[in-house]
Amino acid sequence: MTTETAATAGLTHCGACGGKGVKTFKDGVLTNNPIFAQVLGICSALAVTSKLETSLVMGIGYVFVLSLSALVVSLLRKTIPHRIRIITQVLVVCVFVIVLDQLLKAFYFEASRQLGPYVGLIITNTLTLGRTEGFSIQNKPLLSLVDGAGNGLGYAAVLAVIGTIRELLGSGKLLGHVVLSPHIYTPNQLMILAPGAFFGLGILIALLNITVLKSKDAKK
Amino acid sequence: MKRNAYTILYAFILGGICSLVPTAVGELTAPYREANAKAEEIRNILRVLEIPVSQNATSRQLVAQFEKSVRVSSKEGRTLYRSVDRLDSTRVGAVALAFSGPGIWGLIKGFLALDTGMTTIKRISFYQNEETPGLGGEIGTEWFQNKFIGKEIRDASGAAGFKIRRSGAQGPNEIDGISGATLTCGKVQTILNTLILHIDKEKRHDN
Repeated sequence: MTTETAATAGLTHCGACGGKGVKTFKDGVLTNNPIFAQVLGICSALAVTSKLETSLVMGIGYVFVLSLSALVVSLLRKTIPHRIRIITQVLVVCVFVIVLDQLLKAFYFEASRQLGPYVGLIITNTLTLGRTEGFSIQNKPLLSLVDGAGNGLGYAAVLAVIGTIRELLGSGKLLGHVVLSPHIYTPNQLMILAPGAFFGLGILIALLNITVLKSKDAKK
Repeated sequence: MKRNAYTILYAFILGGICSLVPTAVGELTAPYREANAKAEEIRNILRVLEIPVSQNATSRQLVAQFEKSVRVSSKEGRTLYRSVDRLDSTRVGAVALAFSGPGIWGLIKGFLALDTGMTTIKRISFYQNEETPGLGGEIGTEWFQNKFIGKEIRDASGAAGFKIRRSGAQGPNEIDGISGATLTCGKVQTILNTLILHIDKEKRHDN
């Protein structure tokens, strides 16, 4: 699988993952990582990563939404009428997103305020539908759950990495605590702003493609 | 025909089931969400009245601070929040009023704090908005809210009203808007002017 085709192949090939839980999980987290290999869901990955805390909350919330949506879509897969299958999947995703949003508003208000509309926008995250339509609709419930969790964790991990880089370089802090004191490091505001997200993510994708994904191609 | 009926029935039943879950969770979390919303409101009243609060203050501390340093009164259906400072009587107090109204995508809510003469804006806060992130959503940020500090709610000739201009704001009651958020700025201006005209009417009535 070359990296150019990985984005589309990630959606169509997954039916061929063939009942292997471990491989499905590893694909989601690393080799077919939603952001690095499939380049899906980068809108929110850019928007919520100016701080590590918001990145973590979004990542964990996303694992919750994607795992359960994948499970439910898979459970329903034989009953869903073909013509309304996309809207059915969106409906299932909506349920879990609203539940997540309500829970955050009730028990983690600060994070909910900072994430603002991006929790709701999980519904339109291309990765969500990419997994339910590309995998859950044609695979067994348990495997779909594993796929959802794997992809969710892969997404969460990337968010955490970018969040760490941006908060550290952009404000010299991690989780709000000063790590790099202003005496030795002048925070680079650019990293907190949108361009910082583009540079950070772009460089990370490039690095990962050169190292991990390239060596995988070479083995083939 | 049979397939159509199945599709419609399926959508109907699944829609029903799916609407039950968020409703149930919404009901269960309602007390917590309301408490948080109340604390957020209090935090913003304290902020516009320039009463210092710690960033990590718990809701209980916020309520205690609020009860100690803010006096609440009601006039003509509007609630007035006055800052009182027992330790430092030389500090000029302020009066805060709530405003709310429709933005482009959802409700905009906030507080406007004026000096005791009801002419100059001390601070403003838009603590709830659903405007487009990065464009209209910028009304929730410090840099936009700071533009209001020291502005007046009447123009040079004394007519009440506030203007958010596209650019070239000059008058005492004008500020520059946000590029790319003309619609939101227009909505904000309308919401503010509803409140300002009300304040103005009240004041002239009193005189």
